[in-house]
Amino acid sequence: MSMPQTGKKLEVDSSLKPAYVGVNMPKNDVNAAQDGHGAAIQGSFPVSLCTYVERNLSRCKDDAQRSATQSIMKEIITKATADGTLHTKNWDIEPLLALPENAKGTFMTSNAKDSSPFSFSTSRRSPSRRTKSRWEPVAEEKVTNNMEVVSKEPAKSNACTTWENTRRTVGNTWNLGNFVQSRQAPPSQWNQRPSKKQRIGGNTNLTKNGNASSDSDKEQDLTKYYASSIALTNSPEEKKRREHRSKRFERSQGASSKSMSSIPHKNGAANVYTRGAISMLNNRSNGDGASLAVEDIDWDALTIKGTCQEIEKRYLRLTSAPDPATVRPEDVLEKALHMVETSEKNYLYKCDQLKSIRQDLTVQRIQNELTVKVYETHARFALQAGDLSEYNQCQSQLTRLYGEGIAGCHLEFSAYNLLCVMLHSNNKRDLLSSMASLSKEARLDETVKHALAVHSAVSSGNYVMFFKLYKKAPGLNSCLMDLYVERMRFEAIKCMSKSYRPTVPVRYVTRVLGFTRVDVLCEANVADGLEECEEWLKAHGAVLTVDENSGELQIDTKVSSASLYMPEPDNAVSHGDASLAVDDFLARAS
Amino acid sequence: TPTPSAASGTPTPPSRRLLGSAFLQEFRNWETPWAMEAMHMVALEIRLLAEKADRELVMSGKNPDKLQAAGSFLMKVFGALAVKGPKRVGALYVTCQLFKIYFRLGTVNLCRSVIRSIETARNFDFEDFPVKDKVTYMYYTGRLEVFNENFLVADQKLTYALMHCNPQSESNLRKILKFLIPVKLSIGVLPRRTLLEKYNLLEYADIVTSLRRGDLRLLKQALDRHEDQLLKCGVYLVLEKLELQVYRRLVKKIHIIQREKEPSKAHQIKLEVLVKTLQWLGITMDVDEVECIMACLIYKNLIKGYFAHKSKVLVLSKQDPFPKLNGKPV
Repeated sequence: MSMPQTGKKLEVDSSLKPAYVGVNMPKNDVNAAQDGHGAAIQGSFPVSLCTYVERNLSRCKDDAQRSATQSIMKEIITKATADGTLHTKNWDIEPLLALPENAKGTFMTSNAKDSSPFSFSTSRRSPSRRTKSRWEPVAEEKVTNNMEVVSKEPAKSNACTTWENTRRTVGNTWNLGNFVQSRQAPPSQWNQRPSKKQRIGGNTNLTKNGNASSDSDKEQDLTKYYASSIALTNSPEEKKRREHRSKRFERSQGASSKSMSSIPHKNGAANVYTRGAISMLNNRSNGDGASLAVEDIDWDALTIKGTCQEIEKRYLRLTSAPDPATVRPEDVLEKALHMVETSEKNYLYKCDQLKSIRQDLTVQRIQNELTVKVYETHARFALQAGDLSEYNQCQSQLTRLYGEGIAGCHLEFSAYNLLCVMLHSNNKRDLLSSMASLSKEARLDETVKHALAVHSAVSSGNYVMFFKLYKKAPGLNSCLMDLYVERMRFEAIKCMSKSYRPTVPVRYVTRVLGFTRVDVLCEANVADGLEECEEWLKAHGAVLTVDENSGELQIDTKVSSASLYMPEPDNAVSHGDASLAVDDFLARAS
Repeated sequence: TPTPSAASGTPTPPSRRLLGSAFLQEFRNWETPWAMEAMHMVALEIRLLAEKADRELVMSGKNPDKLQAAGSFLMKVFGALAVKGPKRVGALYVTCQLFKIYFRLGTVNLCRSVIRSIETARNFDFEDFPVKDKVTYMYYTGRLEVFNENFLVADQKLTYALMHCNPQSESNLRKILKFLIPVKLSIGVLPRRTLLEKYNLLEYADIVTSLRRGDLRLLKQALDRHEDQLLKCGVYLVLEKLELQVYRRLVKKIHIIQREKEPSKAHQIKLEVLVKTLQWLGITMDVDEVECIMACLIYKNLIKGYFAHKSKVLVLSKQDPFPKLNGKPV
């Protein structure tokens, strides 16, 4: 069976059979019913019911409507079976179910259990008002995977263009917080609009009591899919579930207001979780009169189990307890991770997606190999992009997870950790403890050995060794060494200026200080390297002369030794934060 | 006065601390430091009990936070002692207890505040403190300087500790020497073998030999063999840096040999000779690397002279090409 395309009409018969399989009636066979042998099969549906079903489904234009209609019909049939009207009801004259966009109208007449569309829509909205979380609008908008296809296009294009724009102007600063926040407004605005339209749609439906939607074509898409998602969520099972979930929040909300003051404010999801947990504890202890120890709290009951099926989800910092409908379960997160890994998009996108995955994992207290993989992936991307702060976050989480015995590339990351400590902090104690905690196994690992060799080179000032190691660095060691390269080169040039007399050729410096690109045989590469080296030398105050005999460029070491200096970094701004530079801001805002 | 009790089973630090707090309250009120010894005893006990408690907590899989709590308590005690008047002479003892706690916990950065109080506050005159406290204090602060690689200051402090330490107390002397020797090595002072033997510090024996001989291979072997030990007490990094001194010794030997063979040309050492020598020691380094090491030696004043790149010759200064380190660290 082929996957349905957006807006295409599918053949009715080919999709009917597998889609509509048993509804609590053990030997229900629509096929047989269609053939007219329905009555012959024991305990099956009357023929009229089957044709009623058929008629309803034939009106569905796509999978979404079909599934919506199916679930509604399940309810009807179950109800009819329960009160014995299954065979007595005249299904032939039973009014057809309105297609999901008109679901509200027919619901009033055919399904007594349902509340009116107005109360329904208000009850849908009050959860969002009650919990005041940013998740609510998003939840309403994206309940099913299918519906994504319809609405995602506009969302995606919005997202992409704004991403690209901001990326160009953000440059090397990683103020993702600002970046994400600036994009909060658009989605929520967009979400508000359709829900209002819903109401209008509902209104006209009621008054007209008709089946056809009176919306214009432009709005039809939006209302159609919102309505279908509402139809889905309007089923009694879903309503029950929703009530149960919202009750849980009510409890914790009520209790949390009084326990808020006593709980110190930690950040992010952890706080949200502990707040809920501690208020649960308060609740229970209030009821029992006995206080519970940490071990006695049913953490599993308090853990959120996600239901969202989104593979792609932006990162939004949690401000309150998360709605399970917006949290992705583990299997979806695996797919999401794979998606990010194979994605061609830029680092900002990947970083955002990964943070969102991390958040979902944290909220559901999933601490296993998937979690390790996610952190490892993010750390690697961060290293390649030069984002040290994000890398450090991931590294600390990984150290903790490895310490708990969860498998992962712990050797690779202990090498990165070593390099980070030795090159980026001046803390000898940390370095000592990192080195001391290396296992025998670790000391034999290539990446770790490389890191230790780098340490040795840095410790004795051996720049030749440093750049040799730089060229053949395994893993992402070179990314970490990158951040030390400038310093090492400067030390080297100071050293050379003091010890070499009368001159040292620039060609030699180019070679040993890692200015040449990988393929040394290519003349163009060598020339490029020379040029880069020359520029670098001049930028650092070296005095260059031309050798009379060979015509080669040399450094006059004696003179240079007095004039070497470390220049200001390029993007230095007077107040120190390049991201606050006025020009940058104007460029970004426009 | 609280008597030390042999705690069996699970010690109860909270109750001990309550006792300690109560005592501290009273102590504050007393004019004279007549109960100083008792106060010290309380401080010592709290620390020891907390250490024991932490060990037990770790064994039962819980979070060891008792020592940290003991640290905060002792800070309060210190506060009570850091006042004008006769009470202040007891402050150094408490300081040392704090040092022991911080070193054990690895939070040595917390030492800074208490050191500042001792060294800069006008309340304290260092000479007033009892000798044993001064020795302990110097020992710990000396160790901190080793971590920060301020070798000259470290040398001063540790030597002070050595000088004033009770000569009968061999284990204390050994502790001091364990850190003093690497410091001395860094400034070019070598201990005699007899000293090492006397205090059972033979892990340094090979290192000293390698320095004397210019034997780089031996140094690397020695560091490898005792790596864990040296990392644990934190002197590994210091000893690693001795590498350059070993190279220097090697070059000096070559120079001496050349001087015997051909005095006029002795001050010029060809790079290939150096490379060959290292190969003979089992160390393969290419020409670039050896050249780099020579440059480093000159840069750090271990050798006086210059390197002529074109001819690949190390040219030594005619006068005093191997200046003594003279207490100046590399």
